[in-house]
Parts: sequence; C-alpha cells; structure tokens
Amino acid sequence: MKAFAYIRPQSAEAAAAALADNDGALIKANGIDLLDRMKERVDEPNALVGLVDVEAFDSIEVEEDGGIRIGAGATLAQLAASQVVERFLPSLAYAAGHAASPQLRTRATVGGNLGQHTRCGYYRHKSFPCLKRGGDHCPVLKPGGVQDTAAIFGNGTCASASPSSLAPVFGSLDAVLTVRRGEATREVPFAEAWAEPKAGWASDLVFDREDLIESVHIPARAEPQRLGYEEVRQKAAFDWPLTACGVRLVAEGNTVKEARVWLGSVAPTPLRSEAAEKVLVGKSFTEARARAAGEAAVTGASPLPGNTYKVQLTKVVVRRALMQAWGRS
Amino acid sequence: MARKVTYLAGIEGAERELTVEVHDLDADPWPLGAKLKYVGTEVPRLDGVAKVTGVAQFTQDVNLDKMAYAGEVIAPHAHAVVKSIDASAARAMPGVLAVRTSEGKRVTYAGSSVAAVCATSREVLADALAAIRVEYDVQPHAVTVEEALKDEVRVSPRRSNDTAGGRGGAMRRGNPDAALESAEVKVEAEYRTAIQTHSALEPHGSVVSIDKEGNATVWASTQATSGFAGGRLLRALELPRGRVRVITEHMGGGFGAKFGAQSWDVLCAEFAKETGRPVKYLLTRRSEHLVGGNRPDSIQKLTLGGTKDGTFTVLAGETWGTSGNGRGGAGCANFMGYTLPSVRMLQHTVSTFTARGAAFRAPRHPQGFFALEGAIDAFAAKAGLDPLAVRMKNDPHPVRQIQWKIGAERIGWKRNHRKVAGSDKGPVKRGVGCAAGRWSQAGRGNWSVDLTIDSSGHVIVMNGAQDLGTGTRTLLAICVAEELGIPPATIDVRVGDTRYPPGPGSGGSTTAPSLGPAAREAGLRAREALAALLGVEWKTDSEKVTLEDGVFKGPGGKKATFQEACGLIPDEGLRVRGTRRRNYDGYNRETAGCQFAEVAVDTETGVITVERVVAVHDAGRLVNTMASRSQVNGGVIQGISFALYEERQLDENLGDMVNPTFDTYKIMGMADCPQIDVVLTTVVSGFNSIGMMGLGEPATVPTAGAIASAVYNAIGVQVRQLPMTPARVLAALEGRQQ
Ligand SMILES: Cc1cc2nc3c(=O)[nH]c(=O)nc-3n(C[C@H](O)[C@H](O)[C@H](O)COP(=O)(O)OP(=O)(O)OC[C@H]3O[C@@H](n4cnc5c(N)ncnc54)[C@H](O)[C@@H]3O)c2cc1C
Repeated sequence: MKAFAYIRPQSAEAAAAALADNDGALIKANGIDLLDRMKERVDEPNALVGLVDVEAFDSIEVEEDGGIRIGAGATLAQLAASQVVERFLPSLAYAAGHAASPQLRTRATVGGNLGQHTRCGYYRHKSFPCLKRGGDHCPVLKPGGVQDTAAIFGNGTCASASPSSLAPVFGSLDAVLTVRRGEATREVPFAEAWAEPKAGWASDLVFDREDLIESVHIPARAEPQRLGYEEVRQKAAFDWPLTACGVRLVAEGNTVKEARVWLGSVAPTPLRSEAAEKVLVGKSFTEARARAAGEAAVTGASPLPGNTYKVQLTKVVVRRALMQAWGRS
Repeated sequence: MARKVTYLAGIEGAERELTVEVHDLDADPWPLGAKLKYVGTEVPRLDGVAKVTGVAQFTQDVNLDKMAYAGEVIAPHAHAVVKSIDASAARAMPGVLAVRTSEGKRVTYAGSSVAAVCATSREVLADALAAIRVEYDVQPHAVTVEEALKDEVRVSPRRSNDTAGGRGGAMRRGNPDAALESAEVKVEAEYRTAIQTHSALEPHGSVVSIDKEGNATVWASTQATSGFAGGRLLRALELPRGRVRVITEHMGGGFGAKFGAQSWDVLCAEFAKETGRPVKYLLTRRSEHLVGGNRPDSIQKLTLGGTKDGTFTVLAGETWGTSGNGRGGAGCANFMGYTLPSVRMLQHTVSTFTARGAAFRAPRHPQGFFALEGAIDAFAAKAGLDPLAVRMKNDPHPVRQIQWKIGAERIGWKRNHRKVAGSDKGPVKRGVGCAAGRWSQAGRGNWSVDLTIDSSGHVIVMNGAQDLGTGTRTLLAICVAEELGIPPATIDVRVGDTRYPPGPGSGGSTTAPSLGPAAREAGLRAREALAALLGVEWKTDSEKVTLEDGVFKGPGGKKATFQEACGLIPDEGLRVRGTRRRNYDGYNRETAGCQFAEVAVDTETGVITVERVVAVHDAGRLVNTMASRSQVNGGVIQGISFALYEERQLDENLGDMVNPTFDTYKIMGMADCPQIDVVLTTVVSGFNSIGMMGLGEPATVPTAGAIASAVYNAIGVQVRQLPMTPARVLAALEGRQQ
C-alpha cells in the first residue's frame, strides 16, 4: 500500500480538525475494512485519522429519558455482551453477536460497520471495471457476471449489496446518527444517511470524507417495543449475510400499531420496506400476516438471473424476524 | 539374498495368512496382533510446540541479510496480447533493483505474469508493481467448459480443446450395451462439481541465496525437496544439482500443487543471480487462487443399471471438465470402488483460457465419488432398497464391509436414516447418508534413512523429505523408537533438507509408507550395532544380546540400559543406514474407507448444516493414531468445504476471478465444523515391513458424497451440483437444478 501519515487524535473535535487539515485523509476505526481496501489500492489515502485514542468513543449509555446512545467506537463484541443492549435492544445484540467471527467482533466498531464498503468482488479488485470506482458500468449486471450475492433491489446501475448486518437493525430502531464536521455536530435520521449508487461514489453513506459518526442514538419510547432480527448466512462465521431483516413492532392487544421493517444485504444500501409495514399496521398479528408481509417485502424486487434465490430468502427472513419479534413481549 | 516369511495379515474378522519373499536385510514384517510399544499409539507431533509458539521456521519466515523481494504484475485477462508496458516509473524508484517486462506476450489465462520487479523492500516492491502500466489487446476467450465446447476455433488455446479419452479417460469393460438394455433398474442423471483452489495457508514460493563460492541455497515451500531443483531452476542458477541445497523445514500445506520449482521460483533464482542478493518471493493470495493450482471441475452424466435385488450390472457415462490450458487431468474416479461388471466411460478434458489445474488431494476422486454415490442413492430409491444395503451388496472390499457396519452403528443408521426421505416435519429437515472411498498406496522407492548415535545416546534420524504438516518427523521417530526401545520424543529427527539422503515427493499419499519401513530398518541396524558393541564388552556372541523393554540383556544376567550401551560408542560415533526395498505381496492393493454424515437442511433458506460425520478409515498399520486421526479430520473438513462452499468464481466476460481472497472465496471455518467421529481400523496390509499404507488422500474421498447422500435423505431430492449452496438447494427443492 501507499505510504501514509497516521494521526491519532485524543478527541472527536481533534479528529474532525485533523480531517479538515489533511486533504484526502480518511477515518480509520480499527481498519478491518479500510486496510483491506488500501492493500488492494482501491483506496490510497495520504493520511489516516485513527480513532483508537478518542476518549469515551466506545461508551454505551442509557440516557435520562431512556434513550440509548452507542459510541461509534463500541465494538460488536461489546454490543453482544452489553446488558443494556441485551435487555432493551435484543435484536441488535443478536445481529452484533453473529456478525463476522469472534475475533473480528472484538475489533469491528459500530462506526466502521456502518462505514464499511460493499463486499462486491468487482469493487474490491482493481482489475475489474466498477461503477463505484468511477467506471461507466457495473459488470455484475451483464450475463456471465458473478451475481450470487448481488442486490435484488435498486440494482439498475450498480448491483452491490449493503454488507452491514447492524444496519437493518438500526433502521428498524429509527436510529439517529450524530455526525460531526469540524466544530459542529448534526443529527441525521438513519434513513437519510444512505446514498443511491452513482459513478465514483464508493461509500454506501451520503457522508463525505470529513464527516465523523460520533454515536448512534436509539430514541426512547413510551410503549413496549417488540424487536426481531433474522439473517441467512451460508457459512456460520467469517462471512456476511446473504439477506438480513430487522423489525420493530408496537402492539395494542393483538393489533399491530406500528411497524418498521428494514432489509440488509439485498440492495446497495439498507432498505426500508414500507410495503411490508403496510401489511401489518392496523391488523391483528398472525403467522399468515407475517408471511404476507414477507411477500409484500419482495414486491418490486428485480433479481438477476444469478440471484433469484435471494427473493425467497428475503421473504423468509422478514417472516421469521416478525415471528421472533412477536414472540418477544 | 531372500527369505520366505509367513505371517498373519489383514484385519480382525477378515485376516489371512500371507507368505512373502523378503530381502535378507529386510526386517521381519510385524504380523497382525504383534505387541508393539510405540507403533500404533498416540504420539503428539514432535514439532507441535515449535509450531504453536512460532519458533518453527517456514519459508515465509526466512529473512537474510540484504535480502531483496520479487513480485509480478499479472494479467487480468483470460486471453490477450501485451501491446505495451511502461515500466519507467518503476525503474526510476529508489530501491528497485531489477525490472522485467514481457511485451508481445500472449496471455492465455488471468493471473499470467507480464512483468516482474525485484526491490529492496516489500513496500518498494508493491509501489513499483503498482506503477507499471500494461496495455493489452484483448482477444476472445472461453473460460468455462460449456463455452469452450460451443465454438472450438474461437476459444481454444490449443489446437483442439477437447482431449477426449486422453490419459485413462476412456474405459470399457464387460458388455455395457447389452447390460444397459437388460437392466431391470436404471437411473440416469448429471452431476456437477466446481473448481476448488488448493488454498494452502502458506503460499507457493521460495527464498534463493547464492553464497560467495557460488553455491545456492533455496528455502522452498515444496512437497518435494529432493525433486525441487529441476532443469529450469538449475539452468537459471547455472549450477549442477549437487550445488543447490533445498530446505523445507516446515511447510504450511501443499495438497498436490507444490512439487518442482515453478516459474516464480525460477524468477527468484534469476533475480538472485542478477542482483547478487538473496531474493524472496511468495505468491500473493490472489495469485495463489489464480495460478497456484486447482481441482478441475466436472460435468458427469452417469447411467447406473442393475437388477431388482440391487446388484449393479453396468455403469455408463461421459464426463467433461477443464484443467485450464493443460492437456489432461479433468477425469473423474466415478467407476471405482464397487463391483461394476460392465463399464463404458468417456472422459473429456476441455481446455479453456484459465490457469492450469494441478493434482489436488486425491485427484479425480472426491468429484467422482460424489457422482457415483449420487447415482447409487438414486438407484436404491428407484429399486425401493436401503441405500446402505445396496452399497454393501456391491462392495467387494473385505475391510470396507467391516467399516460399513461400524459406521452404520455409530451414525445410528437404523434410527436416523429416514425411511421416507424428506419426511421430517417443519422447515428444518434432517437426514443421514453415506459414501465410500478408496485409494491405493503402499509406498514406493528405495529411499534410505540415515541414523547416527553418539556416546551420550543422542540419536539423530535423517531424511531429506519434507514434512507437509502430516507428521513425517514424528512418524520416523516412532519407527526408529520401536526398534531401539526408547521413547520417540527423545529422537532428534531432521527432515526437509537435501543435505540428507533423498526422500520421496509427497504425492499420492506416499511419504509415510515410503519412509516408515526405511526408518524402521535404520533403527534395527542401530540396535544390531549396539548389540555388537555389547557382545564385545560382554564377550559373547552379539546374537545373544537381546533388547527387552528398553534394556539390553545378555547371557548370565548381563544388562545394559540404552544409555549404557551407547557409552560404548567410540568417538567417531555410530552411523547406520536403513533402506526401503521393493514392495512384496500384500493383503489388498486398495485401502477402503467410508463416511457417514448427518445433516440439517433448512428447506426455506437452503442452508445446510453438517452436524456429524463418522469417518471410518484404514491405512494399513497405523504408526501414529493421533496423527492419523488428524489426517482424517483434515480430509473431512476439506471434503465438507468442497461439498458446501468452495468455488472459483470467474466472470465469464472478463475471464478473471471475482473471489480471489479468503473473505470472498468461501472456505470452511471452525464455526462450520461438525462433530467428526474418526474410527480407524487397523489392517496389516503387507507390502512392506510395517504393513502400512497412505492415508492423506483417502480421508477426503467420501465426504462430499456422504453429505450429498444425507441431504437427499433429509429433503427427498438430490442436489446434484457442488458446492451445495442455498441457491442450488432451493432450486433442487423447486425441481430445477441450476
Ligand atoms: C471476514 C469478515 C466477515 C464479516 N462479516 C460481517 C457480518 O456478517 N456483518 C457485518 O455487519 N459486518 C461484517 N464484517 C465487517 C466487520 O464487522 C467490521 O465492522 C467492518 O469491517 C468495519 O471494521 P472497522 O470497525 O475496523 O472499520 P474500518 O475498517 O476502520 O472502517 C470502515 C469504513 O468506515 C469508515 N469509518 C470508520 N469509523 C467511522 C466513523 N466513526 N465515522 C465515519 N466513518 C467511519 C472508515 O473510513 C472506512 O471507510 C466482516 C468483516 C470481515 C473481515
């Protein structure tokens, strides 16, 4: 990889300043994703701003109103082991505890997990053309392209699939990201954090180079929440899910009052399924309804010849995540 | 010169007397039931501590003064002509010692080298390689068998792209046409397997160093130290073989793709000569996947016929596979193991614009047995018979007959095999299945093992062969220990260095049975020499000196420990040599082996979980049961990986590999590892003085077949394509194979 400067600020403010002062500098959490990209020369930054020394960046706190704030530096292992997360956000604990591998989870951070780039093999190897890397087309879409893990939604220009298994959970929780640029911070609703694929835009996030995710905020709720997460992975570890779904339900008796259904690994970004939500809200919850929500979730899917099976997987994870959520009260 | 020995061989329950003619110098073969102290016991590997503490030195760990690093720019095209190369920026970089370019070269596979650099550090090397600009004139190509067969002229890197029937690829026995006609039960289906890359943890490569006198030392990751320095390497070094020392102290896996020096080793040697520095080059992971070797894929159309009572009468088939731009090697062992009176088989190796295949742990076998066992399952289902009973009915091997019973008992066949396949309630369905394996290797070659002892009792055992990680070091120690009556751990074994007597290349599961008998004989010769010294000391005939329980005994109650006996060794030390001579008659030319699997299949997602594998194997007399178990574990793991995960994915338009790293090339990890129940059946196989055979390859032959068989039992339909991905399982359930 190309030589680079390594800056290790002690605070988020100093990190933001370092990003502003060093043109082309990239944020490095623990580098699991970033260093791979650099070794492949997909990214060749002249400086890295490392977050390891940023104080209290890994805290997981319950706020006074009951909201939960997760520092961007918290690791997946921390999420999986946290009593707060286990108790209030079991779907997040499960997703974090099953991602990647035990070793990786001890290093993989929440910020890096949301910031990780697609695992598309074409994007990852510079010898291939790639729209995200500035090319004029996505080779995955051609007959003869390798399509098995590609997106089945929103894949008209780029078929990359969003890799994060935390993302659909955060989506279902209506999370809000606290993002710092320079001295200012702003609150970005999760749904607004993602960018449609376009030529030369490698990240799945809308943020630009200088935007630092400081924390993820899960808003407090008055009513009890029923949370669920389901995924399908071919290998039990050291691999990403083929499909994932995070759900949140609020019930009144047997009736669903509120529903959030988010999908992971099926589109270039995490994807909310309002179609699935519509099937549920205002109706009494039954397994048949959960199944119908799964069917609704795949309306509008545009699978490629090599990944039609992901449509079936998506229906199943939606139904199973809903059943799981409902079973938890 | 020769004497006749009659002894009991085989396996308990199917033993038989063997009368063999052995060389005068050969040790007496140990019979079935021989009481041995160390052979056949659990011996932890001698280099285990060195390996887990990081002390063991692999080729990657060799770092020499002023060492330089070599690397290559590889083509991302399957078929192209190199139009131009601009290496000026690389040449100008400080630290770049040498640059080579191949303008005009015709590239016939992605991964092919088009430029090379030698630099003072890894960092400079990487920058220099990245700074080389290559322009290609891209040509039409075909990278899959089906494409290659479509349009022969356009796509063939060779004159003909179909070497039908080449090298063992055509086979005819009995009267297949009549047998097909008259078969009462007949099944026909197509089975497919994918290209699996060797994926050894340690990449290919070497460190080449030339000393002041002009002698070369090559540290290489090789399965054949003695055969490593061949023509091209010697020409590059301009040295005779005797002045090139090859060292492989420890090895991180080969699986059949690491024999003689390859182009990158030659490059290393050339750069070492050119720069006057030691040069290191180990392939990148991407190159490993692209050019480091692979198991050819297969399309196997099989028809199996027989009688209603489940007796096979005929197997007919045709297969296709690609070994890249190589000529042969894509055949399938899909007509072996069982009694098949009539066979008609035609196998095609189709050349494509991809890098060459290589021997891979049991070449032709895992893919062949996957298809054959699939056909057997289909046959049994059609005949309405128990698939295990059908297998046993057609199995001629006396050892496997015993093994089927052991395996069935352990997996709980009666209880767990679904009478109606796919009949479990709920979306997750379980089933069990089984498959056979075979191999044939009792060792070969007249290899020698040298042994020295000094007066302190320090025993050194030497042979040049490498230890692939299979436990060769420990094996030699055990064979010597048995003869000397001292614990294996006290013996200093030196392998992997051409300074010692030459050893076999580790291919075909030969190393253990080729060297074990030589080591045993070295131990025997040393014992005789010690007895002779004691004979002089005790003034008695050395023949009257015996070794019992590690103590030498002579007439009149004379006793000496091993240590005391060694005290008689003169200053110049004791040096003996044990040699392996030709194989004699044996019990059965084939090793048997069978495996049973229990799986859970989520029929809504297509995800298969292997919950348990029972692996019943034999390899003659087992010298180290712990190492043997480890071999079988490894074979099963690699077999599951082949069955469920591994697949070289090529973009057909670009001809390059989309998954050339371990985060994209799916390979089995610990979290996917089932409970593996290894059962080892000891067979005194004859052939050599220990009665041992090879185990490395047979252990991976049945696995994919057994898992596919279990999946069939679980879900009621066959998944006829490997790897059995969720997509393929769902397609099979929907009634369409992908
Ligand atoms: C084999 C393997 C399997 C995996 N499986 C899964 C899986 O199943 N599910 C899953 O969700 N993940 C999986 N991962 C990803 C893993 O969980 C890590 O989260 C991910 O790689 C990020 O690692 P990191 O925290 O070191 O971030 P880095 O690699 O340091 O950063 C990743 C990206 O995020 C940016 N970034 C980091 N922190 C911030 C921040 N605070 N603000 C803004 N941008 C930031 C960086 O600039 C970079 O672009 C897997 C990874 C591997 C290697």
